[in-house]
Amino acid sequence: MSHSWSRPLRTAVGAAAAFVSLAVLAACGGAAQAPAEGTKAHPVTVTFWAWTKGSQQVADEFNATHDTIKVKFEEIPSGGLGGYPKIANAIKAGIAPDVLSIEYPSLAQFVSQGSLKDLSSYMTPAVKKEFLPQTIQLTTMGGRNWAVPSDASPQIFYYRKDFFTRHHIALPKTWAQFRTAAQQVKKAAPGTRIATFFPDDPTFFQTMAWGAGASWFTTKNGAWQVDTTDAATRKTAAYWQGLIDAGLVSTAPSYSPEWTASLKAGTTVGYLGASWGAGTLAGIVPEEKGKWAAMQMPSWDAAHPSVGMSQGSTFAVSKNSTKTAAAMKFILWMSTSPDSVRARLSASTSTALPAAPALVPVARKAIDTSFYGGQDLYGLYEKAGATIDPDWLWGPTAAANNTLRDQLHGVVGGSTTLPRAITITQSATVAALRGSGLKVEDAS
Amino acid sequence: MSTDTGTDTTSTTGGPGAPTAARGAAGPRRPARRGPQRTGLAAGLLLTPFFALFTVAMLIPVGYAIWLSLFTQKLSGLGFEGPRNVFDGLGNYVDTLGDSAFRHGFWVLGGYVLFYIPIMVGGALALALLLDTAIARARRFFQLALFLPHAIPGLIAALIWVYLYTPGLSPVVSAMHSGGIGLDFFSANGALPSVVNIALWEWLGYNVVIFYASLQAVDRSLLEAAAVDGAGNWRLAFGIKLPLIRASVFLVLLFTIIGSLQLFTEPLLLSNTGSSITSAWTPNMYAYSEAFQLNDYGRAAAASVLIALIAAVLSFGVTRIANRKGARA
Repeated sequence: MSHSWSRPLRTAVGAAAAFVSLAVLAACGGAAQAPAEGTKAHPVTVTFWAWTKGSQQVADEFNATHDTIKVKFEEIPSGGLGGYPKIANAIKAGIAPDVLSIEYPSLAQFVSQGSLKDLSSYMTPAVKKEFLPQTIQLTTMGGRNWAVPSDASPQIFYYRKDFFTRHHIALPKTWAQFRTAAQQVKKAAPGTRIATFFPDDPTFFQTMAWGAGASWFTTKNGAWQVDTTDAATRKTAAYWQGLIDAGLVSTAPSYSPEWTASLKAGTTVGYLGASWGAGTLAGIVPEEKGKWAAMQMPSWDAAHPSVGMSQGSTFAVSKNSTKTAAAMKFILWMSTSPDSVRARLSASTSTALPAAPALVPVARKAIDTSFYGGQDLYGLYEKAGATIDPDWLWGPTAAANNTLRDQLHGVVGGSTTLPRAITITQSATVAALRGSGLKVEDAS
Repeated sequence: MSTDTGTDTTSTTGGPGAPTAARGAAGPRRPARRGPQRTGLAAGLLLTPFFALFTVAMLIPVGYAIWLSLFTQKLSGLGFEGPRNVFDGLGNYVDTLGDSAFRHGFWVLGGYVLFYIPIMVGGALALALLLDTAIARARRFFQLALFLPHAIPGLIAALIWVYLYTPGLSPVVSAMHSGGIGLDFFSANGALPSVVNIALWEWLGYNVVIFYASLQAVDRSLLEAAAVDGAGNWRLAFGIKLPLIRASVFLVLLFTIIGSLQLFTEPLLLSNTGSSITSAWTPNMYAYSEAFQLNDYGRAAAASVLIALIAAVLSFGVTRIANRKGARA
């Protein structure tokens, strides 16, 4: 897919897109835009919506250290629980704040609705160099930059070290070994499973496909290319269908009471999560302190480990903002300043991996890893971050996720299978995108 | 948009609108002595708050929903330039009716109604008749106990039931499991009965109270006469009491049908639990997901208007049948 896209062409398209975006900026921006900074007496006020814990502290810290730009923070419900509709409505009504927190999987939906400002002119090569390249790739669509990465979230496998040691189960480096380990876990304790296939969250499966090298969406020739049934996805679908059919994984919904109950009871001894999940897990089962450990997510090829990214968030500027320059100052401070990380971690135990590698030591120092027996989590995360497959882009419509979610209900219910689910997802996604007027090429 | 549907459809039940309108119509007839002008003024004054609220909370939203349903947002290229609002005529209606997910919602509703209405109406009648028999004891206690679930908001009720349905968490499921019954409340076949069960639990007591109240209003001398003529408890219940409270049976039937059409909260909560309930399981959920997950307000408005129309037609039908039967009786 994007491999076949030759480099000179890519550059040419990128340059053309940058030119167009500059022209658009010049045409509609300009006069209405406020200056980057105000004065001490009349600071520029930037409004900011997010739900991440510690955001208030970050805004407070920014206000304490800056006097020409002031940030007004408002907490909103998390994206899936009403935050995204709230943002979409506010943008429609023209009352959206300047700065928005948007997770990677939803970014393209906002971009393709024309809801966000093109930030290409601020994302200079020097700025981009401060971030993990894959996170820049994920925020670039049609050759333009639409958001600034906040964290990177490589997949990580968390497991009950005590259980694996007691039953002499080898740590799985590949998916083949993972299946063997799953069988051993089930044999060692019949009611126990190695991990959970989350059926309620379609991004779980998508991230697995991503790690296998799938590429569902790309922007090419001014059209969205859609392929949810490529070889890597088919391989992933067949593999997980096999695990589900053999009853080797549990299928409780993500972070549901059912899932947490099984963690507490010790009948789920692993968690296919991401970097930020370490804090979540430690919060759910504090009594299992010292029993857990983290490792690189299994891969298809042990020699070339490759993972996807589960959730993770970015900062974007809403279309209506008249303070893009000031908003960008605040955003870049949030994403690249050690003060911001410290402020966030003063109120949160999130083990998110900062998208800017320079901030990793700050996070490492602030996070207590005694739950994982003092393991160097951030050392692992940095290594895992480097193995994120760079060729993935989330889609411009919720239809792909919605269809897949509905299909996954049937998969765990036994009325359909994953290979069938991805085929249906392909046709539903293409139809939904065409229906909305977007230019789409069915690449399957 | 789903809240609009809520208000649309209740208006068709004749809930808040009907009694006031009836009062208004009866107004000028009675006090003819005082002169029509003063009465008109008084009626106008008394009706103003109602009509003001009715306009703001009902007519304007309904009108806006209809307006929205005629437009669609069109993107172009990669979508970066944002959507254009395009007049689409009845396009949204054609697309909605053509969407198999929307039509499937009505099949689900059909199955739900088939399960729910007989159990609900039959169960409520049976319980009310039991309460009304001479041999019933501790009537007040049972009345209160039956009504109590209704005092719990639907959302909370659904949460409680989700807990009771969840394997690995629910004491009921684990008790059944150890008893050898492996029932999955979230499976493809279990989801519908699970939702029906929640609705029954919430609404049964309410309807029992309605039936019981109208049973209490039945003329006791009729019952005594029947008893003297040798009618037993069964005969009394089915031969005398039931025909006499037919009006409230139809009322309950009407409310239950409208309520079923608006089925939303319970399945929405269950859909987040990994159950086989999909995002457009009922027509109302379809409207919700089009608006708030897929960002297609035009389609959501069209779906809402269609649901309201269907509710209007159904309630008209039920009322007609009820009136005809009432006239015959």
